[in-house]
Amino acid sequence: MNNQILIHALEYGISVLEALVCVLLVSRGGWRQLKGLCLYVTLLFALDGIGRVAILNYYGQTSRQYANFYWVTDVVLALGAFLLTCGFFRRACVREEKLWRLVRLLLVFVIILVIAISALALTRHQGQLYAWFIIEFSQNLYFSCLVLNTLLYVMIQQFAIEDGELGLLVCGMGIQFAGEAACLALLHLTSGENFARNIAMVLPPACTLGMLSTWVYAILRPTPTDPVRSRARKQAWVEAVAD
Amino acid sequence: MFMAALILIVSTGLFGFYLQAVCQRILRRQFAQEFFQSIVNANRLEFPSVRKSIEALNSPVEYPRLTLTLKCDFLALTYLLKNAANINQRYTYEERLLIVYFKLVFASLITCHWLKLSERPAVLKLAKILEYFANVVGERVNTVRFGNLTASDYLLNL
Repeated sequence: MNNQILIHALEYGISVLEALVCVLLVSRGGWRQLKGLCLYVTLLFALDGIGRVAILNYYGQTSRQYANFYWVTDVVLALGAFLLTCGFFRRACVREEKLWRLVRLLLVFVIILVIAISALALTRHQGQLYAWFIIEFSQNLYFSCLVLNTLLYVMIQQFAIEDGELGLLVCGMGIQFAGEAACLALLHLTSGENFARNIAMVLPPACTLGMLSTWVYAILRPTPTDPVRSRARKQAWVEAVAD
Repeated sequence: MFMAALILIVSTGLFGFYLQAVCQRILRRQFAQEFFQSIVNANRLEFPSVRKSIEALNSPVEYPRLTLTLKCDFLALTYLLKNAANINQRYTYEERLLIVYFKLVFASLITCHWLKLSERPAVLKLAKILEYFANVVGERVNTVRFGNLTASDYLLNL
């Protein structure tokens, strides 16, 4: 019961933050610079916030339709996350065209490798081809994104790229990827034991919440010269004192 | 099986790494000026002197006094964060995260002491977090004026 309340609270929190990120990006004009992020959050909101909830309410949690929809959308979201990581790489290499050409090759190589490794898993699970391929592909893609994201973070540090926003966005992605990859690996290792299922129900939404909170902070974070915010805060304080 | 175990270990490690990276990024925030000094003076906080002695003199750490000093400064600053010139009277998201981070680093300081490892990096991290808290409080307080005095000057003259 407590677990269910926690899951519902996390889901509502995620929906609120997804909407908040979109509103902030549009209202502050940041969507022009962060089109990929805007698209990914919208996709997340459409599939995770609306699609999954609708299927869950219509077919029920134990239904095959919900399970199929969940795992298929998981792959779509993993692919979206991979493309977003590619977008972050592009932004980090915006002044380094040579490096970007190299990174682009690496990204293509990684996605081919992930498909090949996931396809290899099919040979071991002849009976449940579809289900195993989806889970295996999803797990491998999340893990690859995690490794690529870490590589990007190291690159930002090494090349001393002065882009505080990008750094925070990458950290947010890292939290999400690490949680998802660990969760999927735990499910795989325990063959879906009860305790692993319970963790799998709570950890990924908690990580998504962490990622979205970090992104909200990245968009809203104060800069040393932010006179508008400072004035607004001062005005609010003066009004509060006057009341 | 081996691959899944490897993914689990690496992912868990990276999860912790990214949480710490977010905290470090928040701590890197640049303030318009050094607000913390007036808060330190007004409240007689000791973390700058602790940091100075560790950084400059590299003197041996007097562990019981050090932990007590840092803990007292932490309690004072978290109280001020919540109550000084804060209309909402609650912590923000990043403040909550940094409070948890402080407690984790503090636990690592205790672990380092018991394992007889160097406590210096943990102490410097704790001082950095406290400096950030003092800067936030100072920045908030600086926006409020009592006559010709800023709130921090007012506190200092009490």
